[in-house]
Amino acid sequence: MKFSLAVYAAPHSSQSAASALRFARTLLEQGHQLYRVFFYCDGVHNGSAIAAPPQDEANLVGQWQALQKQYSLDLVICIAAAQRRGVLNRREAERLERPAANLAEGFELAGLGQLADAVANSDRLVTFGN
Amino acid sequence: MAIKTLAICRRAPYGSALAREGLEAVLAGAAMEQAIDVLFMRDGVFQLMEAQAPDNIEQKNLWRNLQALPMFGVETLYVCESSLTERGIKLDRSRPAGSEIKLIADTGTFIAAYDHVLSF
Repeated sequence: MKFSLAVYAAPHSSQSAASALRFARTLLEQGHQLYRVFFYCDGVHNGSAIAAPPQDEANLVGQWQALQKQYSLDLVICIAAAQRRGVLNRREAERLERPAANLAEGFELAGLGQLADAVANSDRLVTFGN
Repeated sequence: MAIKTLAICRRAPYGSALAREGLEAVLAGAAMEQAIDVLFMRDGVFQLMEAQAPDNIEQKNLWRNLQALPMFGVETLYVCESSLTERGIKLDRSRPAGSEIKLIADTGTFIAAYDHVLSF
């Protein structure tokens, strides 16, 4: 079955963010397809490269990156939600004249159209709220 | 056959960003000509009250964004009837221009008719 996930929860804030990652990993291990993960609202923080959790806590960003590499996942961060909250790639940081870019490798910024597209092209959309 | 999507708006208009960002997602879907309906339930019914004065808390008015729904082809707004009753709200005249309110008594059956549900 073809899944897409919508993640609204920030890592290290709500268990929902970790649940999304575990759900993604499990469905891939079971042979399902993951069409896209769309990070929205506070979920955009899942793509911040500068989060530095203590070593004895799960590093969700790193785990998403590893999963992305293994399965060539489409990890999309809503650009409007990310601009408000300060998750920028280099291009956006320059365009908006901000001092740093922090979008983690393996993630990309795109518009809400990608959520609509995920709905249209998936058998199931599963939302992980906050 | 077109995929039918339902967006459920359950949050009060201010206090969390989800009401605003949910509405933005609905408008984006509608702009892409997705067949999308909206159901307001629980505290989400507060979004439909006309007299919102968020200037006092330095927030933008969500009511203005709601006006865009009919312009993007979302003309029927579905509202959970018991959510209104529980909160003592009557939407006698309050609705975005060009929209029509339909009260839903059995939300479970209503939601089940859709292919996808977006939850905000």
